[in-house]
Amino acid sequence: MRYAELQVTTHFSFLRGASSSEELFATAAALGIDAVGVVDRNSLAGIVRAWEAAKTTGVRLVVGCRLDLSDGMSVLVYPTDRPAYSRLTRLLSLGKSRGGKGKCILDVSDVEAYSGGLIAILIPAEADETTAAQLRKLAAIFADRAYVSLCLRRRPNDRLRLHNLSNLAARHKVKTVITNDVLFHDPSRRQLQDIVTCIRNRTTIDSVGFDRERHADRFLKAPEEMHRLFSEYPEALARTREIVDRCRFDMSELQYQYPEEALVPGLDAQQSLTKFAWEGAATRYPEGIPDKVRKAILHELELIRVMKYAPYFLTVYSIVRFARSQGILCQGRGSAANSAVCYCLGITSINPETGDLLFERFVSMERDEPPDIDVDFEHARREEVIQWIYETYGRSRSALCSTVTRYRAKGALRDVGKALGLPEDLITQLSSGVWGWSEGVGEKQLKENNMNTADYRLKLALDLSSQLMGAPRHLGQHPGGFVLTQDRLDDLVPIEPASMKDRQVVEWDKDDIEALKFMKVDVLALGMLTCMAKSFELLRDYKDIPMGLSDVEQEDPATYAMIRKADTLGTFQIESRAQMAMLPRLKPRTFYDLVVQVAIVRPGPIQGDMVHPYLRRREGKEKVEYPTPELEAVLGKTLGVPLFQESAMKVAMTCAGFTAGEADQLRRAMATFKFTGGVSKFKDKLVEGMVKNGYTREFAEKTFTQLEGFGSYGFPESHAASFALIAYASSWVKCHHPDVFCASLLNSQPMGFYSVAQIVQDARNHGVEVRPVCVNRSRWDGTMERIGNSDRFAVRLGMRVVRGLSTNDAARIILARAEQPFASADDMWRRSGVSPSSLVKLAEADAFLPSLQLERRQALWDIKALRDEPLELWAAAAEREAKVIAEMQEPEVALKSMTEGREVVEDYSHTGLTLRAHPVSFLRQDLNKKGIVTCAEAMGQRDGKWLWTAGLVLVRQRPGSAKGVMFLTLEDESGIVNAVVWPSLFERQRRILMTASMMAINGRIQREGEVVHLVAQRLFDFSADLSSVGNRDGDFPLPHGRGDQVKHGGPPDPRDNPKPVVQAREIYIPDLHIDNLKIKSRNFH
Amino acid sequence: MPADQPLVVISKSGSKRWVSAADTAARKLGLKLGMPASKAQAIVANLKMIDADPAADAAALERLALWALRQYSPVVAVDGADGIVMDTEGADHLQGGEGLLISGLVNGLRGRGLTARAAVADTWGAAHAITRMTSAETTVVPVGGVAKAVTGLPIHCLRLVPDTIHGLRVMGVETVGELSAMPRAPLTLRYGPEVGRRLDQIFGRMAEPIEPLRTPELVEAVKNFQEPIGAAETIAKYVRRLVGELTSKLETRGLGVRRSDLVIHRVDNTRQCVRAGLAKPVRDPARLSKLLCDRIEKIDPGFGIERLVLVALIVEPLEERQVASSLIEEMVVDVTPLVDILGNRGQRLYRVTPVASDVPERSVMRIGPTADETGLTWAAKWPRPSRLLANPERIDVTALLPDQPPAVFTWRGKRRRVKRADGPERIFGEWWVRPREYAAVRDYFVVEDEAGERYWVYRAGDGVDTDTGSHLWFLHGVFG
Repeated sequence: MRYAELQVTTHFSFLRGASSSEELFATAAALGIDAVGVVDRNSLAGIVRAWEAAKTTGVRLVVGCRLDLSDGMSVLVYPTDRPAYSRLTRLLSLGKSRGGKGKCILDVSDVEAYSGGLIAILIPAEADETTAAQLRKLAAIFADRAYVSLCLRRRPNDRLRLHNLSNLAARHKVKTVITNDVLFHDPSRRQLQDIVTCIRNRTTIDSVGFDRERHADRFLKAPEEMHRLFSEYPEALARTREIVDRCRFDMSELQYQYPEEALVPGLDAQQSLTKFAWEGAATRYPEGIPDKVRKAILHELELIRVMKYAPYFLTVYSIVRFARSQGILCQGRGSAANSAVCYCLGITSINPETGDLLFERFVSMERDEPPDIDVDFEHARREEVIQWIYETYGRSRSALCSTVTRYRAKGALRDVGKALGLPEDLITQLSSGVWGWSEGVGEKQLKENNMNTADYRLKLALDLSSQLMGAPRHLGQHPGGFVLTQDRLDDLVPIEPASMKDRQVVEWDKDDIEALKFMKVDVLALGMLTCMAKSFELLRDYKDIPMGLSDVEQEDPATYAMIRKADTLGTFQIESRAQMAMLPRLKPRTFYDLVVQVAIVRPGPIQGDMVHPYLRRREGKEKVEYPTPELEAVLGKTLGVPLFQESAMKVAMTCAGFTAGEADQLRRAMATFKFTGGVSKFKDKLVEGMVKNGYTREFAEKTFTQLEGFGSYGFPESHAASFALIAYASSWVKCHHPDVFCASLLNSQPMGFYSVAQIVQDARNHGVEVRPVCVNRSRWDGTMERIGNSDRFAVRLGMRVVRGLSTNDAARIILARAEQPFASADDMWRRSGVSPSSLVKLAEADAFLPSLQLERRQALWDIKALRDEPLELWAAAAEREAKVIAEMQEPEVALKSMTEGREVVEDYSHTGLTLRAHPVSFLRQDLNKKGIVTCAEAMGQRDGKWLWTAGLVLVRQRPGSAKGVMFLTLEDESGIVNAVVWPSLFERQRRILMTASMMAINGRIQREGEVVHLVAQRLFDFSADLSSVGNRDGDFPLPHGRGDQVKHGGPPDPRDNPKPVVQAREIYIPDLHIDNLKIKSRNFH
Repeated sequence: MPADQPLVVISKSGSKRWVSAADTAARKLGLKLGMPASKAQAIVANLKMIDADPAADAAALERLALWALRQYSPVVAVDGADGIVMDTEGADHLQGGEGLLISGLVNGLRGRGLTARAAVADTWGAAHAITRMTSAETTVVPVGGVAKAVTGLPIHCLRLVPDTIHGLRVMGVETVGELSAMPRAPLTLRYGPEVGRRLDQIFGRMAEPIEPLRTPELVEAVKNFQEPIGAAETIAKYVRRLVGELTSKLETRGLGVRRSDLVIHRVDNTRQCVRAGLAKPVRDPARLSKLLCDRIEKIDPGFGIERLVLVALIVEPLEERQVASSLIEEMVVDVTPLVDILGNRGQRLYRVTPVASDVPERSVMRIGPTADETGLTWAAKWPRPSRLLANPERIDVTALLPDQPPAVFTWRGKRRRVKRADGPERIFGEWWVRPREYAAVRDYFVVEDEAGERYWVYRAGDGVDTDTGSHLWFLHGVFG
C-alpha cells in the first residue's frame, strides 16, 4: 500500500508544529510513507532542513507551503517545477513585504497572479456555501491542478462531512485528495502542541480554551492505517501519489549564480581576477614577486578557474576595496588567509611568503562547495559597508541570512512555565540556578529551592520544557552573512523585511545556505578593529604619530615582554582568563608563538591532549623528536605537535600520501566522525598509508587518535595567524600608549571581556591618569588631555559612560558650551535646551563636580528646581545681558555631603566605574578582623598555603573544555585573585557562585611557575556587606563584563548542539550588548 | 502549626509574588519584605507561606477600631493599613491617665494575640511616626514635647509618597529634624506643598482633625401595637406601612436594600423572623412588600403580635436613573423581581453557561442568576445529548476495534441493537489538570437503537493504546 503524506507542518511554522523535520522524516521512513509534503505556514523557512532530512532518510520531500489568505481561505501549494518554485518564493516575498516582519498578507488575486505550475489543495471547513465558493475560485485559477483535501478530524459527523465534501468537489470538478494535517510525528507530542499554542497566543493552558488544536490525531499514520480509514475514497488516496509524481521539483535544482562584479571591461571574471591578482602581487612585493608566491598564485588561479569561483573572489574584493576607500579597517579571517590570491587582493594580511599556506584548506576540488571568506570590519562602521552592499547589488539581489533563534534551557522553561501558569518569581528562581545554555532543569533544582517535587504542574513544566528545547522560536537577522546573486534573489528564496530599517533577510540561515551551496559573504563586525582605528586616530590627533595597522612595529621585544607577563587585559583574543593563564607558560617571543597561543587555548587542542606535550617540549622538559625528516618539515614549527587543522592535513599528505583534497576531506570527516562514523575509511587509508611509508603501525594509530580530537574545534593556522596579527597590534598599542589604548577601548564599548571599570582600573595601574566626566570638558567619546606642559596625556572620560544619556543630548550640550563654558546647572539648562531629566543623569554621574565644584547632591538640588520651560521674560533679559539671570533668589541650602562609600556606589550605579576608592576598601577593617587577606597578599603566598581572601566577583567562566571547572576572578583594592572552583564545590555552593556579587573564598594557593591560582575549598556570600558600603538598601550595582558567563551567558557552546553537517566556523562571537544594570528601588520597611 | 516555623505572607499581582509580611522567625533567617516568594522559599526550607488578603486585613483592622471605640474614646479612626488613631483628650482619665490607657491597650491586644505599639502625642503625625519608628511598646510624649521627640526620626514616617521620600534621601535628608531645618520655599519648589503640610501637621502647626469611625447604623422601621394583632390582612397592612417608612428612609440616604429582615415580636416574648433577599439593591415599596407579604403565611402569630420591626440588614448605594423612552432605547426586561420571588421561596437559582472545554462534564458551569455574561456562546455545531448523566454508566458492548461503533450494547439490563451510529468523536483528557488525564482519551459515539432512541456512549481509550484508557464502554447521555 502506498501513501504520501502531503500536509505536514514542522516546527518551522514557529510555535505551530511540535516536531522537527528530522523526527518527521525518520518516522515517515519507519512507517513506510514514501513521500512527505512539508507545508509550513506562509513560509519556506524549514524546507532546507526538510530536504536534508529527506536525503538522510530516503523519503521523498515534496516542497510546499500553506498559504493562509486574508479572506480566510487556506490552500496548500506545491510547485511542480523550478519556475513554479520561483513564483512561489516571489509570492511569499510579496506577502511578507506587505505584512512586515514575521507576517504575510496575501489574497486570492495574488495567488492567481503567481499560480502557474503550482498544484493547490484547498483546506475546506464544512461542506457549505463558503467552501463551494472557494472551490469555484480554486477551479477557476488552478484548473486541473486544483484539489480539495479530505481529512479526518475525529469530530462528530466526520463521515458525513467527508461525503458531502466529496460530492461538492465532484460538482465543481475539483479532485479530492487525502491529507492528514500532521502537526507532530508521534502521539506523545500532543501536550507540547497545546503548550506551543499557548505560547503563540500568549495565554495559559487554563484559559486557552478552544484556541487549542481541537482536531484530534495529528500525528503521522502508517499507509495501511490511512487506507483503512479512507477505504471509501480509494481514488483520493491514489491522488496523493499522483501529486507527488506531478511535483518534479527538487531543491537540488536551485542553481546559484554568482553576481558579476568588478569586471574589467572586455574581460571575463577569471581574466579580471587574474589581472587584479597580479597587480596586487606587484604592490605587495615591490621588490619582485618571490617564486614561492608566484607558484602559489598560479596554482590558486588555476583551481579557481576550474571551480569557476572567480566571481566570488571579485565580489569580496570589491567590498574590501570599498571599505578601504572609506578608511574602514578590515581584515579577512578564517581559512581564506591560506590564499595567496586573497593576500594579493588585500582581503587577508597573512604573507604567503613567510607562512606555509595550504590553499586546499580553503578551496578544494573534492569539496564541491563554495569557499567561505569572512571579513571583519570595524564594528562601529560596518553599517556603512552593509548599506553600500544593498545599494550596489540592489535589494532584489542582496539580503542577509537569517538566524534561527532556538529554545534553550532557560527560555524553554520560561515560556512553558508561563503557559502552565506558574508564578513568574518561581520560574526566575528556578532558572537562576541554570548554568549556561544547555543544562536542563530537573528535580535537583526543585529540591535546592525547597520546591515541591510532587507538584504536577512543576513536573509538567520541567518535562515539557525539555521537549521544547531546540525548537525554533523565531527568525532573527544574521549579523553579517550576505547572500548575493546575479539574478533576482526572490527567485530562490522568500525574502522578508527585517525589524531593522532598510534591511531584508532571506528565510534561511547560514547552514541552509551552505547546504544549498549558495555563496555567502560574511561582513562581520569586530570591536577590536574599531578600537584599533580609534587608537590610530587618537595617536594622529594628539601625539602626532600617523600610523595604520600595517605600520605597527613588528617583533617588538617590549610588547612580548608585556604579553609574557599576561598583562593583556583589553587586548584581542589573549585577554581571556584561559589565555592569560597560558601566557606565562608559553612565553611568546615571536609572532609565531602568538599564533600558537591563539590556537592552543581551544577545545580542539585541549581535547586532543596536545597542550601539555607542546608546553613540555617548549619548556625543554621533553625531547623534540621526529620519526622521519618529512614529519619534521611539517611539524617543525610546532615542535612535533599538530596544533592546527593544516598540520593534520599535512601529516596525512606527507606521511600517508593523501592528496591535498583528500586531506581536506579527512579533516571534515574528523569534524563529524562522532555523528556519522564515516571516518573509518580514512583511518584505514591513513594508517595503511603511513605504514607503507615506513612508519610503525603503533605510531600511525597514535597519530590518528591525536588528530581525531580537533577536527572541528581546532583553528586553521591561517585564521590563528590573522587573529594573532590583531592581538599583536592591540598589545603593541597597550604597551606603548596605554592612555590611547584605554581611551579607544572605552570608546569602542561594548566589546571584549572586561567591563569599563576594569579597563579603567588597569589603565590607572599602568600610570595613566583618568579624569572624571565633566559637563564642560567631556565630549561624547573619551578624549586625551595634555597634562600641564608635559608630553604626557590624561584620559578624560566621555559622556558615553553616563548611564541613560542620549547621544543627541550630549551633542547639544557640547555645541552649546563651544563659545563659553557653563557657569551653573541653570545656565547649562537654558543654553543647551536639554531636558532636566538628562541633566539629572549627568548630575548623578557627578559630572558637575570637576568644573563647577557642584557635588552630586548640590547639582541634583539645583536641577530639581528647574521647570519644563524657562520663563520667556527672563530668557529675553538673559539674552540681552548675555549672562545668566536667576529667576528667583533662593536661600542657600546646605546639603550634607555623601559618605565616601556612598559616592562610590553612586559612581558605579551611574557610570559603571569609579575613580574613587575601591568598594572593598571600605570593608577592609571588618575583613582584617575576620582574618581575610587582600587579593595581592593572597597571590603572593607560597604554594600550598591555606588562606581566606575576599573580593568583588568580576568574572565567572566555565569553559566547555575545562570539564566543569569554574574560573572565578575576584577583585579588591589591591588587585585580583584568580580562583578555581572544582565541579563538586560548584554543585554544593552553586547558589552563591551564581548570585553573589562579593564573596570570600577559603582555599589553597597553587603555584606553577608564574601562574598562581587559589583553589577554592569553601565560599561565603559577602553581598550583604558590599551592599552596606553605600549605606543604602538594594544590591551593589556591580557591572560585569562580557567575560562573565553568569550575567552574559556567553556564546552558545557549539558542542551542545551536535549537528551532522560540518560547521563552517565556530569562532564567531555575537555582539552581545551589556545588560543595563537594574538597580532596585529603595523599599522602606 | 509549630510556633518556630517561619511564616511569611505572600502578595500577588499578576504572575508576580513577593513577601509582604514576615514574622520574627522569618526575619531572623534573612527574609526581607519585597523579596520574590520563590527566593524566600529557596532560602528557608520549611517556610510557611500564606496568601495575603488585604480586604480581610482592612476588615479586621476596622473591627479592632470599633472595639477601641467602645473601650477607649469616642473619636477613633483607621490610620493607614496598619494602625488606629484615636483622640484621647478627655477620655484618658477613665483609664487612669494616658500612660495607663495605652499600656492597658497594648496589654489588652497582647491578650488577643496581637503585638502592638502605642504612643500618645500632641499631634496625629507625631504619634503615627513614633509608633512606627521606635521600638518602645508605649511612649507618652509630654505636652509640648513633640518637636523633641520627632526630630531624630527618619523622614519616611512623614506619610509622604515614596517618590518624595526617595528624592529627599538622595539629597541626604534623613531625619525629620534635618528636613524641618531646611528653608521652606526651595523645598516647596522642588517637592511640592505636601512636604510642608506634613511637617506642619507633625509639629502641630496645622490642625489635622480625625474623621471618626462610627458603628454602622441600621436603617429600620418599628411599629408597636397597643392591641396585639394576628390576622394576616392586618399584618400585611402594617408590613406595607413599615416598608413605606423604610424605603423613604433609604431614599433620603440614596440606598437600596439587598437583604431585609422583618422581626415579629409576639406577646409571649418569642420572636420570629422573615427574611427577604434581593438580587440587586431595591427600594421599590411594592416589590419589597410583595416579597415580605408572600411569606406572611409562614408567620405564626400565636397569641398575637405586639411589635413589628423591619430592618434593612444589607444596603447598597442605589441611584435613581432616568428611564429612556422605549422609542429611543430598547427596553431591557428586568428579570430580577422574578429571581427575587423564586429565590425567596427557597429555590436555588442559577444559570448555566458554556465553558471552553471539550470534556463534557466540564463544558457547562453554573453561575449566579444575575451574573455577567462569560462571553462564550453555545456552539450548536456538534450534537450534544439533551440529558447528560452525572456519572457515566458502564455498558456491555460488542464493537470492533479500533474505531468502530458498537453493534450491540446492554444498558441497565436491556440489550439494544445499534441501527445507526456516528463517531468516534475523540476527546482528550485535560492533561494539565491532573496526572490521570495526561494520556486519557474517550471515543464518543452517537448510536441509535432499533426503537429510534439515541444515546451518547463512549469507550475509554482510543482503541489502540492501552495507556489512553481501560477500553471499557460507558453510556454518558441520552438524546431527547
